[in-house]
Amino acid sequence: MTKSRRRRVSTAIRYAVLTLWAIIAFFPIYWMVATSFKPDTQWFAWPPVYFPEPPTLDNYRNVWFGAEQYAATQYAISSQKPLISLGNSAIIATTSTLLAVLFGSVIAYGVSRHRILSETRMFQLLMLRMIPPIVVVAPLSLYYAAVGLTDTFAGLILIYFLTSLPYAVWMTKSFIDEVPREIEQAAQILGASRWRTIFEIVLPLIRSGLVATFLFILILTWSEYLLALIITKTQVTTVPIELSKYQGSTEGRVYGRQAALSVGITIPLMIVGLIIRKHLARGFSFGMVRR
Amino acid sequence: MARIELVNLTKTFGSVVAVKDLSFVIDDGEFVVFVGPSGCGKTTTLRMIAGFEDPSAGEIRIDGRVVNDVEPRDRGLGMVFQTHALFPHKNVAQNIEFGLRMKRIAANERQKRVRDVAEMVRIAHLLDKMPAQCSGGESQRVALARTLVTNPSTFLLDEPLSSLDAKLRRELRAECDRLHQTLKRTFIFVTHDQEEAMTLADRIVVMREGEIEQVGSPMQIYADPVSYFVADFFGSPSMNLVAGEIVREGEGARFRASRFDIPLPPRFKAVPAGRATLGIRPEHVGVRRGHNGSTELPVRLVEPLGKDTLLYFDDGTARAFVAVSEGFDMAEVKPGDRIALSFDPERLYLFREDGKRIG
Repeated sequence: MTKSRRRRVSTAIRYAVLTLWAIIAFFPIYWMVATSFKPDTQWFAWPPVYFPEPPTLDNYRNVWFGAEQYAATQYAISSQKPLISLGNSAIIATTSTLLAVLFGSVIAYGVSRHRILSETRMFQLLMLRMIPPIVVVAPLSLYYAAVGLTDTFAGLILIYFLTSLPYAVWMTKSFIDEVPREIEQAAQILGASRWRTIFEIVLPLIRSGLVATFLFILILTWSEYLLALIITKTQVTTVPIELSKYQGSTEGRVYGRQAALSVGITIPLMIVGLIIRKHLARGFSFGMVRR
Repeated sequence: MARIELVNLTKTFGSVVAVKDLSFVIDDGEFVVFVGPSGCGKTTTLRMIAGFEDPSAGEIRIDGRVVNDVEPRDRGLGMVFQTHALFPHKNVAQNIEFGLRMKRIAANERQKRVRDVAEMVRIAHLLDKMPAQCSGGESQRVALARTLVTNPSTFLLDEPLSSLDAKLRRELRAECDRLHQTLKRTFIFVTHDQEEAMTLADRIVVMREGEIEQVGSPMQIYADPVSYFVADFFGSPSMNLVAGEIVREGEGARFRASRFDIPLPPRFKAVPAGRATLGIRPEHVGVRRGHNGSTELPVRLVEPLGKDTLLYFDDGTARAFVAVSEGFDMAEVKPGDRIALSFDPERLYLFREDGKRIG
């Protein structure tokens, strides 16, 4: 086999493998979107229906807007209002993520520049995150009940902030380490205070990294289920909790509605991702400061 | 205006002593160059003056005031870094303006001063550019401007030219000199380049292993080195240093090495016999074709430079023995030719085995 031919064959194989992988990876997403447009007769149909015929918006109307004409049907199971849950999730996830990134980056600065935490402490910080949430959730709910944080925004924001702080510290530290110290020292000798140096020089320089960290933590908090399940009840439900209601022993499997809800939950994250994609590529490549 | 005193300054990093009991006074308006090989403690000293490193012992005084516990920004200094350290997310004008903003100077006054200083270092055309769009030389001019505009009492320059190519280096060296003359401020310049030290300094501080080896004007350092180390460090091409021994001969003494046997001038008549190193600068070695009964060495390499010709001789060691001959007189010499050498007796140096100068 000639060299150029060998190269063509290996390219072909590479594309074949990648295509297969892409199909495996994207099929569930496709299936979710397709199902959300299917009338109830096609949810369980065999052979499977790949393209809804005819496509319908009933699932969306029902789950998101609780349309009146569906309220009496067996599928109108939501006593909650998913739009409110979506709002709750948006407030809780973004607030806790912003707090985590803000405090995390300041702590990370201290670690990177002044070693306020030793390497052991840094690992212990990460180990905190390794504790299975299921271990702490019961005791936590006791404390929460005692101090009145159960089923409140503050309660969920606080626990999400604390559990994602280790990630925020670790990720932002790796970006801060990349900023040459001399740039900060230049700012200091020109008269900038330490806080000023952090907020006007260091953080803007790592903004791509901050954005990447933000999205990473946002995804985690957006889809967090266990803690939300235990420490919220009816006042502050988040979207993952909402999602679980469409699949249970009494309701059966309401696939079409669940898919419509899933699509709605996914879209905000995708929009955020698209808005900040310019930063993501740079942020996740860990080397954005030109020396 | 600032007079800077370093009193018994010591800095250790763990078990490593970077600066050892250093005492030195830099006068107001003086251009002092700290020079030495990497790791000699010169940058650490500068960073202690700037306030980025805390001394392990000793004091730093600026105009009589002890500043050990004073933040860098309150010391009234300006610093230019080897890496320029421009703020990559701010354009050139914003970079220069930064220090003025920190001092809460009014916006219109800031603009005027930025423009003035940009013209002074000839970067007015760059004000809207980002640092990433500037070349190395331009970046260093911006860094200079950023420091100049705050009007510091003292300029600290940490190898500011070492990341530039030779031509730019000469150009910015002249710029530094010019600024020092116009501003009449104290300049403390750190470099490992002896040529920069020679051309810029009022006084040179030669450092070695955390200590001051010698302090003096460039001419003193060049003509009167206290040790083998200083003699070897300064001058390009550097001083010829030949290991050998001093032998007594009646009233006088001679220096002998494998290919040398040189009578020492009367001022060395008291030196003790024993192992030593003879030093002579290439420009003080006389060369003549043909035999004259004294030292004669084969040529290894000829380098005609135009104004001078450098002759490298094989003296039996790895390091060639170098002589400078004016003009092209010697340009036709071929490798292998034997040339007679003479040595200006007034310009001979002798160093003891421990590196200290004799006599």
